Amino acid sequence: MTTFDLTIGAIKAAIIVGVLQGCVPILVWVERRGSALIQDRLGPNRVGPFGLLQPMADALKFIFKEDIIPSSADKFLYVLAPVMTLLPALTTFCVIPWGPGIDVTFRGVAHHVSFQVADVDIGVLVILALVATGVYGIVVAGWSSNNKYSMMGGLRSSAQIISYELAMGLAIIGVILPVASLRLPAVVEYQRHHLWFVFTQPVGFLTFLIAGFAETNRLPFDMPEADSELVAGYHTEYSSMKFALFFMAEYANMVTSSALAVTLYFGGWSVPFVEASGIPGAILGIGAFAFKVAFFLWLFVWVRWTLPRYRYDQLMRLGWKVLVPLAALNLLWSSTATLMGWI
Amino acid sequence: MELALFIVCAAVAILFALVVVTHPDPVRSVLALVVTFFALAILYVQLAAPLIAALQIIVYAGAILVLFLFVIMLLNAGPEKDTGDRSRLRTIISLLTAAGLGGMIAARAWLNQSTGIEGADNPSSLAAEGSVHAVARVLFDRYLFAFELVSIVLLAALVGALVLTKKEPA
Amino acid sequence: MMIPAATPNFGPAAEPMGVPLGAYLLLSAALFSIGLFGVLSRRNAIALFLSIELMLNSANLAFLSFGRALGNLNGQVSVFFVIAVAAAEAAVGLAIMVTVFRTKETINVDKLDILRW
Repeated sequence: MTTFDLTIGAIKAAIIVGVLQGCVPILVWVERRGSALIQDRLGPNRVGPFGLLQPMADALKFIFKEDIIPSSADKFLYVLAPVMTLLPALTTFCVIPWGPGIDVTFRGVAHHVSFQVADVDIGVLVILALVATGVYGIVVAGWSSNNKYSMMGGLRSSAQIISYELAMGLAIIGVILPVASLRLPAVVEYQRHHLWFVFTQPVGFLTFLIAGFAETNRLPFDMPEADSELVAGYHTEYSSMKFALFFMAEYANMVTSSALAVTLYFGGWSVPFVEASGIPGAILGIGAFAFKVAFFLWLFVWVRWTLPRYRYDQLMRLGWKVLVPLAALNLLWSSTATLMGWI
Repeated sequence: MELALFIVCAAVAILFALVVVTHPDPVRSVLALVVTFFALAILYVQLAAPLIAALQIIVYAGAILVLFLFVIMLLNAGPEKDTGDRSRLRTIISLLTAAGLGGMIAARAWLNQSTGIEGADNPSSLAAEGSVHAVARVLFDRYLFAFELVSIVLLAALVGALVLTKKEPA
Repeated sequence: MMIPAATPNFGPAAEPMGVPLGAYLLLSAALFSIGLFGVLSRRNAIALFLSIELMLNSANLAFLSFGRALGNLNGQVSVFFVIAVAAAEAAVGLAIMVTVFRTKETINVDKLDILRW
């Protein structure tokens, strides 16, 4: 690794973390105005034009709130839990390509800068690994709060995540089979020359999307943080900035889920029938990627305020008895079609 | 660079392994083991085994240890309270046994590491050596039978765990 | 699609290991002995299982180190199987622990000495 590579890598990592954290206030605003739109009311419109500064007000409120640590809580784990939730949420994006690379010439040496923080051989497995790591923050938050509701919420939420990980993994395998590589740029490249996977594996896409909702604890699968059921689930006892960290993690997970759905099923940064290279190609790619991810983020918000919540046993039944067989069927279809050369 | 990374990861692994075996609270032990596994996964990547590193995190740190955490919380296993009762003799004997066996292994390892490999510096071929495609080729060709057997083992474990923990209808 | 037969050898490793093989083996031995100490001295059954997992991981490290040093993929495949079997073993072991806890209300291995249930 040359110094150039290291510097470029550091810059890309900083961009990713910055964008992910910058998306959070935007998503908060979209969530609140979007929910108001769906519920036929106004939503925040006082703080700044169209309520655009509302997330800033929220952030200030979080910072100034009293930071309470329950006396019977396990202090070390209690403070560690939000950090353990946020770290995987921010790093999962590192293997997702957000644009075609560009060629730069630095001091007379031509380099190809790929628009991806880490192009490793095992691309998709990194995402599965980091999602698996994200379970710990929730379970530790529930345990350390020393509170019945938090504990139930924590256990339920982590059981939900590891159950839906299975369906998600099987759906991902269905996509990986024709591509014959675990690398996400290879998946995008494949979709540039073939039909997008959303058309050739619709069942897999549906499974992945539903599993994505469950992985990020979004409605209709947010039983663990359901306001009317478990007070607030695993973050009942959290206030101010620690609570804000949980929320940042949830929104960052949303962005990563959307980006992954776009990359696996909707062609990633590629625009069909358009070939562009160099700087215009890069801008077009990044723009297309952002547009598609924005659509999925809106879908997350839309579904949240439209569908009712699943009861916990219904949720687990859906994950194990419906989605896993569906994903397995999709795998059967995908392997047959790959062998026959149909997709 | 490789040496520095090795030293850091080895130090972290050993430090947190010591926490695993000495801390009275099982939850802390599990979390320390997670850190140990992450350090080991970094070492696995350095040993040209990225697929195994990913599997280590997905399976070991992401599933098995979560299962451990669940069971600890299910059984409400708090910190070992009666540590005052811990037999000092027992600790000393375990320490001696472990040190003795570990020392023997270490001595044999250090004295017999005669596999010196000469070669040119070639990072790209290193990546190809432990690549997913290469491992998959070997796994599904020479070890296909073992692979299928392992799936049966996992099925047996699944059924066994379900049967063992099934509550008798009252 | 015929896949060419695979050999587990990728030849002598194209580049020497930056860290000597002995260092990895020493780390493996150290982790093994720490795990062994845990198995012998802990009385909480779950901590016992954790120490066993630690020992399994030290073996994995040894497998991979030798695989890398000899330019052979058998090491990685062995680790693959070790991880799978360790998962199965952990699941069944913890199921046994849960069942024992239901009858005896303890997981202190010193107290589980009736050799039944």
